[in-house]
Amino acid sequence: MRGTRLTRVFRFGFQNFFRNFWLSAATVSVLTLTVISINGLVVVNVLGKIAVSSIESRIDVSAHFKPDVDASRVQTVKVALLSMQEVRDVKYVSREDAFSQFKELNGGDMDLMASLDEAGGNPFGATLIIRARDISDYPAILQTLSEPTFANMIEEKDFDDRELMIDRLNSLAARLELFALAATALFGCIALLITMNAVRVSIYTHKEEIGIMRLVGASNWFIRGPFYVEALIWTVISVGLTVAMLYPTLAFAQPFLQRFFGADVDLMSFYSVNMAEVVGLQFLGVALLTFVTTKMATARYLRV
Amino acid sequence: MIRFKNVSKIYPPEVIGLQNVNLHIRPGEFVSIVGQSGTGKTTLVKLLIAEERPSRGQIVVGGWDISGIRNSEVSLLRRQIGVVFQDFKLLPKKTVYENVAFALEVAGATGKRIKAIVPQALKIVGLTDKADRYPRQISGGEQQRVVIARALVHRPKIIVADEPTGNLDSINTWEIIELLRRINGFGTTVVLVTHNREVVNALKKRVITIDHGLIVSDQEEGKYML
Repeated sequence: MRGTRLTRVFRFGFQNFFRNFWLSAATVSVLTLTVISINGLVVVNVLGKIAVSSIESRIDVSAHFKPDVDASRVQTVKVALLSMQEVRDVKYVSREDAFSQFKELNGGDMDLMASLDEAGGNPFGATLIIRARDISDYPAILQTLSEPTFANMIEEKDFDDRELMIDRLNSLAARLELFALAATALFGCIALLITMNAVRVSIYTHKEEIGIMRLVGASNWFIRGPFYVEALIWTVISVGLTVAMLYPTLAFAQPFLQRFFGADVDLMSFYSVNMAEVVGLQFLGVALLTFVTTKMATARYLRV
Repeated sequence: MIRFKNVSKIYPPEVIGLQNVNLHIRPGEFVSIVGQSGTGKTTLVKLLIAEERPSRGQIVVGGWDISGIRNSEVSLLRRQIGVVFQDFKLLPKKTVYENVAFALEVAGATGKRIKAIVPQALKIVGLTDKADRYPRQISGGEQQRVVIARALVHRPKIIVADEPTGNLDSINTWEIIELLRRINGFGTTVVLVTHNREVVNALKKRVITIDHGLIVSDQEEGKYML
C-alpha cells in the first residue's frame, strides 16, 4: 500500500509540473538564473585566483653580485637560499651570461657599446634570480638578503622597488578574496530570497488544492509529497539547463580568457575535473533550498 | 452517530460562533440545519469535519471523540465523512474521473478497487459520459454531482452538505436534493445545511434552527421557520 501511495505521489508531482506548465517554467527560470549566478561567482573566483597566481609566478627577486665576487661564493649563496623554506627556485646567471644578455639587448646602441669597450672587459657580476613559494614569502627572503653577510657581496638590489609591488599584490589578493566572499554571500542571500519566493508563489497558487486534498482525507505527507517531487524536477531541470549552457559558454570564452590571462587558464578542464563536486554541490544546495521552502510554504496550509 | 455536548465556539476576541449546543443525530437520519447567514451553521459543519476545534464541550462522531483530534488524525475522520460544499471544491487540474478517484487514492486504495468503485459512483450521480471532462468543462449542477460522487466513494456513514444548492438553479437544486434523498435511502446519515425554504419544507424531515449561535428549534418533521 505504501508503494502504491509513493507511486501516486510521484505521478501527482509530475502531473502538477506539466499541468501548471507556465508556472513551472517561471519557477525553473528563476532557479536557473540563481544557479547561473552561482556559477558566475565560481568562474570569477577561479579567474581571480588564476590572475593572482599568474602575476605571482612572474614576480621574482634578482640579486646582482659585485664583479669581483667569484662564482663559487655566489653558488654558496644560492645553496643557502635554496635551504630556506620560503624559496622555491633560484636561478644562477653567470657573469658571462649576464654580459652576453646585455649585449643582445643593447647591441644597437653604438654609444653604449663603445663605452663598454672603453671600460674594458666584463663590468657585470653574477646574478641570482630568486622565486618564492608564495608571494607572502618575499619579505622573509628580502630580509635574509639584507643581512650583512649577503649584502656586502650584492652590488645592486632590484628587489627594493619590488617590495612595494609585492606588498600591494599581497593586499590585492587578500582584498580580492574578501570581495569574492562578500559577493558570494550577497548573491547567495539574494538567490535564496528569490528562490524561496518563487517556490512560495508556486505553492500559494495550490492553496485551494491543498485545502481540497485535506477535505477528502489526504494525509499531510501525501499532500506534501507531490510538491517535493515538483521541487526535485525544478532542481534537476535548473541545474541541468545551467550545465548545458555553461559548457558552450566556456568553450566560446576560452580563447579570449587564454589571451587575457595566459595559456594556463582552462576553465573547461576545471569544470570537467571538478564536475562531480561543483554540479553535485549545486544540485544538493538547490534541492535543499527548494525542499525546505516547500516544507515551510505548505506548512501554513496544513495547519488546522 | 453525531453528538454535540455543550459545544461552544468562540472566535477571538469574543465573537460567538456557537453557544452551548447540545445535539444528537441518529444513524440514517436526514437532518436540515437552517438559519440566517452568520448564525453559526457553517461553524457547526467546520467543527464536525474538524476544520476547527471547539472552544468548549465535546463532539463525538461514530463513538470517536473528535473534540481534541490530532492534526494527523484529521485525514482518517475525513475519510469517514463525505463533505459537499456550495463552492464544489473540485481540483481544477484533474478530470471528473480523477477527482472522484483522488479520494480513494489518498486513502491508499488499490488501482483495481478504484477502477471498480469510481465508475459506480459516477453512475449513481449520472456522470458516466463526462468522466474525462475537467470541472470547468461541465455545469454547476454537474460539478456538484461530481462532489457527491467523490463523497460517496468511501461509503461514508455520514454526508455533510453545506449549502450544496447555493450556486444552482432550481432544476439542478432539486436534482441534487433528490440525489441526497436517495443516498439517505441507502442508510447514510445526511446533514444538510441550507437556507432554502422550499427545499426544507418539501423534504418533511427533521429541521434544526440556529440563531445567533443557539439552537432555537429542533422539530422531527419541521418547516423553515425564520
